[in-house]
Amino acid sequence: MTNSTNDLPQATEHRLEELEHGLFTSDLSVNEFLLIKEVGFHPVGLVMGSSIYHTGLQTRKWSQSQELTKLTEAMYNARELAMTRMEEEAAELGADGVVGVRLDVNYYEWGKDAAEFIAVGTAVKAEDGVSRLNQLGKPFTSDLSGQDFWTLRQTGYLPQGLVMGTCVYHIAHRGLGQTLGTTGQNVELPNFTQALYEARELAMTRMQDEANRLGATGIVGVRLEEKSHQWGSHTIEFLALGTAVTKTSEQVTLPKPTTIISLDN
Amino acid sequence: MTSAATPPGPSLSNQVRRALLEPVIPTDTTTSTTSDLSIDEELNLRSIGWEPVELVSAVSLQSIPYGFWNWGQGEIEVASRAHAAAFLSATTRLVREAGAAGAHGVVGVHIDRAVHPTFVEVSLVGTAVRPVDRSQRLSRGVFASDLSARDFTMLMVAGWEPLGLASGASFVFAPRRSMSSTLQQQTQNVELTNFTEAMYSARESAMQRMQEMAIDMHGAGVVDVTVHEGPMAFASHAVGFVAVGTVVRLAASAHQSIQPTAVVSLDDPTVAFDAQTLA
Repeated sequence: MTNSTNDLPQATEHRLEELEHGLFTSDLSVNEFLLIKEVGFHPVGLVMGSSIYHTGLQTRKWSQSQELTKLTEAMYNARELAMTRMEEEAAELGADGVVGVRLDVNYYEWGKDAAEFIAVGTAVKAEDGVSRLNQLGKPFTSDLSGQDFWTLRQTGYLPQGLVMGTCVYHIAHRGLGQTLGTTGQNVELPNFTQALYEARELAMTRMQDEANRLGATGIVGVRLEEKSHQWGSHTIEFLALGTAVTKTSEQVTLPKPTTIISLDN
Repeated sequence: MTSAATPPGPSLSNQVRRALLEPVIPTDTTTSTTSDLSIDEELNLRSIGWEPVELVSAVSLQSIPYGFWNWGQGEIEVASRAHAAAFLSATTRLVREAGAAGAHGVVGVHIDRAVHPTFVEVSLVGTAVRPVDRSQRLSRGVFASDLSARDFTMLMVAGWEPLGLASGASFVFAPRRSMSSTLQQQTQNVELTNFTEAMYSARESAMQRMQEMAIDMHGAGVVDVTVHEGPMAFASHAVGFVAVGTVVRLAASAHQSIQPTAVVSLDDPTVAFDAQTLA
């Protein structure tokens, strides 16, 4: 696959052509589907992007906390590839955006360093014909569910893009002297604390930078995930993921919520 | 219901497809009701004037000839065909059983699907339903849908109706990488284009097949699509992609707004932080 403006396989274009003729596919549940219709959008197709990626090797120092830049780069790169391919499919469909995006990493038995990065979502198009593309002229992406999307639209906000920041960090092991010195005492472990702090900050800052690039006024639904993938217990990926939003000029009257007591168990 | 693995002849999938598209006209018999719906779901159904009729199930097994999984190139067509045939004959049987019980459709179909090296198994269980009012009973075909009774109710309220289950499956070989490139790239960040391309090709054919089934049913769209993808557990260089969803179309003249109300639940909050986990 080359890096031309549109590197989608031919079969994809054929499938998307069929979708342009009116049939839609979507992984939205019925409730989500109806809520999306309710705020004036129509699903146009299930869009996907994926990349199977081999991450390189990087040596770590046993007793030093550091960011593993090569691994960070790999996680970024592979997710970017998957996301961009998904966006291209959405653009091909003439969609205004993609909702309910799921970003997954799957490890298979192809080898311990190979993983599939996949982005799946439902492309939607505004029914009133007014373009809702983001500031970069691309379809917006968002990991908000149909329910969240409906709620967000009630407040007059519009998603701009799924933003993420990631940082793969190696946390130093404690030396034998340190371990023995603190046995039996209540103490904070500053090296661990500091390393976790720094890694989280790096991931969050990178996410905010992405949101700034989109000219967003805020990020909603942020999730912070920590995963060791297959790197052993002291190497952790911090992934911050959220939807960047901007306020539109639409006049909104916020509905007054009704309080209910659910009779469910 | 047991069914021996029938060897897939070349015309079987066409036969099954034709059988599926042929509308099954429900009979008018009444029997005692069995269903796996919860009370809520039954009330939901009754609120739009439908009732459960019978718990229906269907199974289909299709054999895959031995030795197709490990070497070759391109799509493993025998496997894709076997999957399509198994799915189609299972849905046809389900719909026929529902039709015989006097139902108009099957909701909440639970799909159990497994691909083994030598056969594909699809088993379906769902609740057959029909409108209570006899005059409302249409003379159109019986539908099957994996939407829950709740979802079915919402869909009907909004003026849409399910038409049937659509599925697409494709299994593709990923070419092996040469030993030298594997070694060379050991320490680098690279995309594995052989796997990416194989995955893409499987995905495209599978989605395409699902869409074609939806078009055959004259659907306007497919909702609640679930996808299963990844390499086959028993063949490391074969990847599979399966998509299943419910085909819907607008039954009323226009989409009915559902006008949701925002609510604040007064239930006990769910515990977001549990100090015990710090131990």
